Amino acid sequence: MTATAEFLKGLPSYNENNFTRFHSDASSKVSVKRPSVYLPTKEYPSEQIIVTEKTNILLRYLHQQWERKNKKRESANEVEEGGSAKKRPRLDTSV
Amino acid sequence: MAHNYVVTAHKQTAVTSCVTGNFTSPNDLNLIVAKNYRLEIYLVTPEGLRPLKEVGIYGKIAVMKLYKSGNDKKDSLFILTARYNAMILECSGEGENMEIITRTQGNVADKIGKPSETGIIAIIDPDCRVIGLRLYDGLLKIIPLEKDSSEIKAYNIRIEELCIQDIAFLYGCANPTVVIIHQDAHGRHVKTREISLRDKEFAKTSWKQDNVETEAAMLLPVPEPYGGALIIGQESITYHNGQNYVTIAPPIIKQSTVTCYGKVDPNGSRYLLGDLAGHLFMLVLEKEEKMDGTVTVRDIKIELLGEVSIPECLTYLDNGVVFIGSRFGDSQLVKLNVTPDDNNSYVTVMETFTNLAPIVDMTIVDLDRQGQGQLVTCSGAYKEGSLRIIRNGIGIHEQASIDLPGIKGIWALKMGSSGNPSVDDTVVLSFVGQTRVLMLNGEEMEETEIPGLTADQQTFFCGNVGKDSVLQITTGSVRLISVNTKQKLSEWTPPDGKMLNVVACNHGQVLCAAGRELYYLEMEDDTQVVLKTHVTLDYEVACLDLTPISIGSQQNTTVSKAEVCAVGLWTDISARLLKLPTLEEFHKEPLGGEIIPRSILMALFEGTPYLLVALGDGSLFYFSMNPVTKLLGDRKKVTLGTQPTVLRPFRSQSTVNVFACSDRPTVIYSSNHKLVFSNVNLKEVAHMCPLNSEAYPDSLVLATDTAVTIGTIDEIQKLHIRTVPLGESPRRIAYQENTQTFGVITSRVDIVESSGLTPARQSASTQAQSVSSSSSLGSAIKAPVSTRDSCGSGGGAEIGQEIEVYNLLIVDQHSFAVLHAHQFMQNEYALSIVSTRLGDDVNPYYVVGTALVVPEESEPKQGRIVLFQWADGKLTTVAEKEVKGACYSLVDFNSKILAAINNVVRLYEWTAEKELRLECSNFNHIIALYLKRKGDFILVGDLMRSITLLQYKTMEGSFEEMARDSNPNWMSAVEILDDDTFLGAENSFNLFVCQKDSAATTEEERQQLTEVGRFHLGDMVNVFRHGSLVMDHAAETLTTPTQGCVLFGTVHGAIGVVTQLPSEFYHFLSEVQTRMARVIKPVGKIEHSFWRSFATERKVEPCEGFIDGDLIESFLDLSSDKMKEVATGLQMDDGSGMKREATVEDIIKLIEDLTRIH
Repeated sequence: MTATAEFLKGLPSYNENNFTRFHSDASSKVSVKRPSVYLPTKEYPSEQIIVTEKTNILLRYLHQQWERKNKKRESANEVEEGGSAKKRPRLDTSV
Repeated sequence: MAHNYVVTAHKQTAVTSCVTGNFTSPNDLNLIVAKNYRLEIYLVTPEGLRPLKEVGIYGKIAVMKLYKSGNDKKDSLFILTARYNAMILECSGEGENMEIITRTQGNVADKIGKPSETGIIAIIDPDCRVIGLRLYDGLLKIIPLEKDSSEIKAYNIRIEELCIQDIAFLYGCANPTVVIIHQDAHGRHVKTREISLRDKEFAKTSWKQDNVETEAAMLLPVPEPYGGALIIGQESITYHNGQNYVTIAPPIIKQSTVTCYGKVDPNGSRYLLGDLAGHLFMLVLEKEEKMDGTVTVRDIKIELLGEVSIPECLTYLDNGVVFIGSRFGDSQLVKLNVTPDDNNSYVTVMETFTNLAPIVDMTIVDLDRQGQGQLVTCSGAYKEGSLRIIRNGIGIHEQASIDLPGIKGIWALKMGSSGNPSVDDTVVLSFVGQTRVLMLNGEEMEETEIPGLTADQQTFFCGNVGKDSVLQITTGSVRLISVNTKQKLSEWTPPDGKMLNVVACNHGQVLCAAGRELYYLEMEDDTQVVLKTHVTLDYEVACLDLTPISIGSQQNTTVSKAEVCAVGLWTDISARLLKLPTLEEFHKEPLGGEIIPRSILMALFEGTPYLLVALGDGSLFYFSMNPVTKLLGDRKKVTLGTQPTVLRPFRSQSTVNVFACSDRPTVIYSSNHKLVFSNVNLKEVAHMCPLNSEAYPDSLVLATDTAVTIGTIDEIQKLHIRTVPLGESPRRIAYQENTQTFGVITSRVDIVESSGLTPARQSASTQAQSVSSSSSLGSAIKAPVSTRDSCGSGGGAEIGQEIEVYNLLIVDQHSFAVLHAHQFMQNEYALSIVSTRLGDDVNPYYVVGTALVVPEESEPKQGRIVLFQWADGKLTTVAEKEVKGACYSLVDFNSKILAAINNVVRLYEWTAEKELRLECSNFNHIIALYLKRKGDFILVGDLMRSITLLQYKTMEGSFEEMARDSNPNWMSAVEILDDDTFLGAENSFNLFVCQKDSAATTEEERQQLTEVGRFHLGDMVNVFRHGSLVMDHAAETLTTPTQGCVLFGTVHGAIGVVTQLPSEFYHFLSEVQTRMARVIKPVGKIEHSFWRSFATERKVEPCEGFIDGDLIESFLDLSSDKMKEVATGLQMDDGSGMKREATVEDIIKLIEDLTRIH
């Protein structure tokens, strides 16, 4: 058995009956079957609409950069503030 | 104003994409095929592919993908159109109730952006998180697949690599990751980029490979466990997944370019590849299991399985069956076999699907001389190149013929002589005053006698009845004959010596009429016929029928009994229906006029009973019959011929058809529950009967005035296509009536070898009965020395290089055999052909225009116009003329030759010395590609400057530019509709109409062609031709007034019709169109007005001056309540200029007539 034949063994089968009763006229293999035309007249409201984000890529990029920087700064600030919070002096000195 | 009607006569057939999955239900395996702007949905069944539905999309389908996300049991269909409408479709319901639901839709176009030259690419993440669209250079659009939100926000991310060859999503990645092949100044490189959905940008590159093969063009993502991707190049295939890297460079793939693939195993270990030469390969990934249990690719193996149609796409279906979708040839269903056939091919073709695409050129000829055009197209390319002969109507293929004049009737009998009781073996022929019997002995026929049969009278009916009897009805009697003994069993004679003149019979019932007397007889005990009823009718009987038509009986007519009979009468010209057996009249239908009915027939078409009545003048009334009450309704009339017509039923593919015998024989059948009348390619048929003998199965016996013919009939369908394979690309075609030949220009591919040029494969030009060639020696042109040594050798071309070789083929109009092939010089491209007479010369010539193509030149600087004469089986070069450029188009012009050469239109005259001499020229074009003429007017189609109208001034012998269209249209075809109206097709798939305004006040306005019509066709027109596919007479009887008829052929294999309408009718149809567009809810929710709007890269303008015939004609397929919805409130002219409300019936009548122009 050749390598090619080996390759062609065990081709996937989803339904073993498919194409088993295929019958072609020896005279004409040309198919003339045509599906009937689907004419949709029923309205189905579309569940989803695709829209394109209006934001310019550059603006989005700058925004993201700015936010990132801001976040960094904020987190940096938070650390500082957090630090200071820890060191917040006790106001209640009555005890 | 322009008033045009454009409609498809033959839908496009080129397959642009195909996918397989579970679309119609979780258990259905579907094949979905995209053909430009139509989808065809098939179901895979044990019997093969079953067509389910055809779905029109209002847009050219650029990408089609099936995907199954998450827990879905069914696949969803993603479609992106060329005008950037995206949609996700789902299927619900089954069979006739199937509905296609547009779940998601929207336009994803950007306002700015440069459309990528490598086309639209859409990819779906294997985990169905996102869809990626590469529409414009430098951008990747991401559509997040969120199921629950009502709005999906698509966004662009910037992609640094500008020139992307291919892009794909990788399997098994935590975040959606694309792999791309991109090109820069150094070569092509492969790179992966991970998409961060949160940041809406590329996160990181997980792996890349610089400098892959310079022609690497395709990526196949490989599923897990392997992961990674296959990179397909011109010479090599590489597997890469970041860590693992395998490359092979098998010689078998070098011959051509791999263009498509299909995954075989769900785990991605085997793939089918198809290339431009039509080779089908199997690619196998050989796995290696590592110690740690992981699996990697060890090696790639590729094997050639065999040859198929040049594939555009392919998909594995089930059990070794593969669908091959083709743009250049017929699509195929093929089976992969483990054992090779005699040609060492592992592929067997199971079924082919006819494809006319691309229609490069075509001509309309009336070969049968019946007043009906046939279209001969140059179709397909490369090895799939062919001529296709397209005919409206049905062909009879003659098997045998006998000269026998004066036949008055024919019937086939089963006399059991062949040993097989179920086949016909005897034919009974009736003449005035006698009856003759022919016995079929194999293919031979010999005259014989049946003792029980009356031979000295004219037979009105003869046929098998009951179990084993034959019934013969003659003027004098009704007799029953035994099949076994061939002797008479019994006889019934009409009382009082009456002579029978009209009869009808089925398997057990007999009706005979003698003047006004009508007798009803029934067969009893298979041995005798007994008179049951006798009535005297009002007038003489003209025709009779008692075909049983009860519902459910169509499969088994032998057992069912007719409950009604139909009678046509003289004098009052009426059709009447009588009850059986009482012969009591229950319905009367006056036919009107003075022409008597000559044949009446009840027939069951697609389960609907009809009554057909043919009159003596060739016209036919048809009525639908109520299945229960048997009352008639829906009276309609058509004209079939001009002579008395005889209606005969026959079966073909187990459906009932009716053969109307007359001077214009017609087959009547039902399609989509409408009666269709299809011409037969015979001049005249007087009588007909079906015949099913051993030597002539499923045949018809047809009698003319002089002969009897046995023939088989084409399958019943409207347009018939015959294929003449050429095996090389046909380019141009011309017809020469005098020599009964076609001149066809073809190009084939030759390979340069050390010994010279060798054809890549055998084809029409290499197998012609005789050959000749143009030689540069002795030619008007001395070929540039640098590119060619001498004719025939490889010249300057490298060994192994492919070179196009052009030929003129002379093809016989009857046999389509290639009589002669004339090969042009190397590097000489034949571009145009016309058949014409020149000057005072009586000989018809084929005139061919050529160009000498030198790769270094930006446009050809040299070419030839060559005159050939085909006479006595020899092709002679009569004259040649050197021209300074490529001769793109040739047109005959009052015995002169008009040529478009590069940017010049030139007129040549034929001198007495048999030379072509330049008479005058017109400049002012970029490249003049197309020429059409009408009288002295010449229409020029330019590469990019739309159309120009020239006039030839006979007195001055010069051209004058009359007017031009100043729009920058890139033309693909032009045509003159009338003296002032011009049709153009341009390369963004639009049609337009321009008008000349001769009455304009200023010179400037007169020189301007005004664009008055615009329409988006959605397909590229390659050729326009005046002519029609229907019989001349068919158009005469139509009530719809259409003017002129231009046929067009397209890149996707469609044939269409453009015709002009009167203003009044145009406005009426325009109103119908608006209402139809409201009633039909388009799949994908793209508006009809958007679809048909004239759209180029530069502008979009609303459709104008064109009616979309495809939309109008789909009215006939609407349900009756939807028809009513369209009709309500519609005003129409009642013929007297008064307006009245149009009824559904009015509109059906009008549109049915419109459908008959194609």
